[in-house]
Amino acid sequence: MATDSAGTRTEAGLEGIRDGIAQGRFPAHVFNDREIFDTEQRRVFSKAWCFLAHESEIPNRGDYVTRYIADNNLIVARAESGEIHASLNMCRHRGNMMCKSEMGNASHFRCSYHGWVYKNSGELVGVPYMKEGYGGRIDKRDWGLVKVRTDTYAGLVFGTLDPDAPTLEEYLGGFQFYLDLYLKQGSSGSEVHGPPDHWVTETDWKIAAENFSGDGYHTPVAHQFGFNLGYFASSGSTHSQGWAASIPGKGHGIGLGHTPGFPPFAGFPEELAEEMRSSLSPEQVEVFSQTRTAVGTVFPNLSFLMQPFSIVPGEAGVRFVTMRLYHPIGPGRTEMYSWCLVPKDASDEYKQEAYRAYTLAFAQAGTFEQDDLENWARVTRSAGSTMARNIEFPYVMGMDSTPDPDFPGPGHVVTPYVNDSNFRNLWSRWSEYMTGRV
Amino acid sequence: MSEAVPRPEAENPDDGEVLHYPRDGGNDGPIVVANEFVDVVVRKVQTRNGVRLEIFSPKHNTCVRFDAVALDCLSYQEPEFITSLLARSPAP
Ligand code: FES
Ligand SMILES: [Fe+2]
Repeated sequence: MATDSAGTRTEAGLEGIRDGIAQGRFPAHVFNDREIFDTEQRRVFSKAWCFLAHESEIPNRGDYVTRYIADNNLIVARAESGEIHASLNMCRHRGNMMCKSEMGNASHFRCSYHGWVYKNSGELVGVPYMKEGYGGRIDKRDWGLVKVRTDTYAGLVFGTLDPDAPTLEEYLGGFQFYLDLYLKQGSSGSEVHGPPDHWVTETDWKIAAENFSGDGYHTPVAHQFGFNLGYFASSGSTHSQGWAASIPGKGHGIGLGHTPGFPPFAGFPEELAEEMRSSLSPEQVEVFSQTRTAVGTVFPNLSFLMQPFSIVPGEAGVRFVTMRLYHPIGPGRTEMYSWCLVPKDASDEYKQEAYRAYTLAFAQAGTFEQDDLENWARVTRSAGSTMARNIEFPYVMGMDSTPDPDFPGPGHVVTPYVNDSNFRNLWSRWSEYMTGRV
Repeated sequence: MSEAVPRPEAENPDDGEVLHYPRDGGNDGPIVVANEFVDVVVRKVQTRNGVRLEIFSPKHNTCVRFDAVALDCLSYQEPEFITSLLARSPAP
């Protein structure tokens, strides 16, 4: 890791932020700050396990997508052997970008500058004028594309730039229990429905990551129309019900919204609900059957949301899952990737319906998406103002709640659903990375 | 040229010859197979006594015609075989 160029002021500031979180305070400026952004690039995104792709985005040999970890563009490709490899998208000769398309199929990549050819797994295989030009001074084995360490969980491919990072399993630390709701819809699991919606937005990744780690508090206000028009099966009077679950020390958190009298697994086709009752563990079935909305974040910037949404207001909701990656591209600027995940086993009709519900609510022009981003863009703008440098926000909601001893899922689980407990855990993990403790 | 094998002379189009091909060639071709690195045109070529599959590279202006035995043999090559061909002649 390169040496840190952040000044002492920043170091002391970061320690102060860390202390503040324990007391339920978090500063406004971190949501739009050049120094924070630069430090995050080196200390958070260059060390954490970062999401790259879902395996179903590259189902066949030769399929690839390009994605980022920090500011590094990576090729995530399925080799001719079937294995998945992540390599830096940079030719080793003079640094040209190898794959300019965001997705494609190729067994080999050929550089458009001087013509070096690599296998899609990264090995250098062809060098024009090898004999005449290099006369034996180049050993191809030394000049493959730079590899990135990867690992997978239930179809999710993650990468880390830190060779000393713990295993992905340890990193997730039990959060898999909750992720299964999104990733194991039905016994064959989930798959992406088409390529991600992908756009740039004037918000900070942290605002989105926090919101999706379980902000049930904003829903009845920001998404009021959804309640009022009958798109969304919850009501202001009961909306605080449910759980906030987080994995202490890991940063991951999920909000589980509950509506009294809501039928278990409502919004799924009946066959699929049956499958899940047998393929998930009894504890998972107990938790998920009471869950209307599940909205969670894997630290740092991968989020999920599942809920039923009515395509026609007042009619029964259709369950959909969105998976989103908030890729930071500058202070207060984020490249959004948003996928719809559907159960592999489901009928095409249900997949289409789920995709429609997702599009209506959460694709780029989705109604919920618009509600959120209008707010987030303004939070971001305020956070970047000079007076905001000395302003803190209260993160004290649920500070005195005691964990629910009977809850069947892992982690620190508290009620009600409207709670800052997941956010304190998220930002405390963030500050561990930011202060160099991880 | 480098350590490349010589081009397969006999089948090459004449220099400067421009081949026009429809995009939808049905079952007989031409079929355009392309990715972001290169594109080739594939079609069936009838000979007096049989058929061959022609692969034409507009980029290199090279062309080969494989008969059934040659194609059959390609069908059981390891991907490594293609890698080794690219190692011999990566470009142009
Ligand atoms: S930069 Fe890729 S071959 Fe020269
Ligand atoms: Fe929202």
